[in-house]
Amino acid sequence: MPDDEFRVRFERVVMPHLDAAYNLARWLTRDAHDAEDVVQEAMLRAYRYFRALRGASARPWLLTIVRRSFYEWLTANRPAEIDRNFDQDLLGSQADRTTVGPEQVALRRAENATLAEAIAALPVGFREVLILRELEELSYKEIAHIVDIPIGTVMSRLARARGLLQKSPLLESVRGSAAGGER
Amino acid sequence: MNCHEATALTAAYHDGELGPAQSLALEQHLVGCADCAARRAELDALHSRLRKETPYHAAPGALRERIIAMLPVVAPSGAGSGGQRWRWLSAGAFAGAAATVFAWVLGTALLESRDVDALAAEAVSDHVRATLGKRQIEVASSDQHTVKPWLSSQLDFSPPVKDQAADGFTLLGARLDYLDRHPVATLVYRYRQHGVDVFVRPATRASRPTPPTTVRGFNVSHAIGTGMEWWAVSDASPDVLAAFVERLAHDDAR
Repeated sequence: MPDDEFRVRFERVVMPHLDAAYNLARWLTRDAHDAEDVVQEAMLRAYRYFRALRGASARPWLLTIVRRSFYEWLTANRPAEIDRNFDQDLLGSQADRTTVGPEQVALRRAENATLAEAIAALPVGFREVLILRELEELSYKEIAHIVDIPIGTVMSRLARARGLLQKSPLLESVRGSAAGGER
Repeated sequence: MNCHEATALTAAYHDGELGPAQSLALEQHLVGCADCAARRAELDALHSRLRKETPYHAAPGALRERIIAMLPVVAPSGAGSGGQRWRWLSAGAFAGAAATVFAWVLGTALLESRDVDALAAEAVSDHVRATLGKRQIEVASSDQHTVKPWLSSQLDFSPPVKDQAADGFTLLGARLDYLDRHPVATLVYRYRQHGVDVFVRPATRASRPTPPTTVRGFNVSHAIGTGMEWWAVSDASPDVLAAFVERLAHDDAR
């Protein structure tokens, strides 16, 4: 295939998902400038390996690359943020209210925080499944593939992410009214 | 179903990940159980607040331009020397001929793309009109063996009707529309929260594969196969739609 044709095909198949790539990177890095770095690296990598896509769905494929680029960027730039232990919370030995980390404490205090800030305060492992599900509307199977975890883990992380948001003061009014309406 | 089971399944139900039998069992439980219904309402409330209050960050234009500008300097992995063969085009002796051919190809392409754009726009108009007018479905059935005979009785062609439930597309029924001054069969599917219309007409010699496009925010995907031309219109994501219309058009073993 001539290089021009290759590039045109890439622009037609992959470039339409640039917004999704940037949105994910923006929520993961929590910074506009860092998100651009991650996306740029991811797009060039996607271009290099575009042949490997072979008719599969382009958006989950691209988001997998964005996520990998993000973790490499995180390791290089903010290694302290890599939280390897958050799945321990999921194992259920501790009740939800006792596993509140400093981020959640800050979140509970921030009465005036916006919902976006509440999401930004989630540990990255919960944040990514929440964004992929709620904003990108990907299926459990697609998320499992992107994050490289079993579907059961997707479900438990998602439940945990939603639980944390619902417990934040921001959402208590919604909880109250939703529950009240049914009773 | 008891509350314990319902609690475990509510999120999957909310996310559209439960099968029909389990969904039904859960729905029946929710009707009679205020606590479980409240838990479900909380998930809905969270979802709608997330959609409403959190920004979807679109890529800055400058980033897009920078990436496109960088592509030519990246060597795709596994790239052959395919590009080399075309170098002769730049040789002087052929330049004139090439320019003529180029102009002709460009002219034809523009003509075609205008036709295709008009068709895509018409398909989107049909889709929107049906959605607004509540005239989405004239024969409501998730059974392909009911939908197909109805269409055959209305049209002078008989489009294949396929159940795509395994891939998350539920067949809701069908109706008739006009496209390009001819009646077409419209298959109506639902994919998660999205309505999907598929317009089907017999393929002709003029039918050409057409890249996916977006018209007024709706994604349009096109495919040719099984003697038919297929146009899918939806607000579902373009790659999902493209894969779907390809599956419909091509008679695989499913």
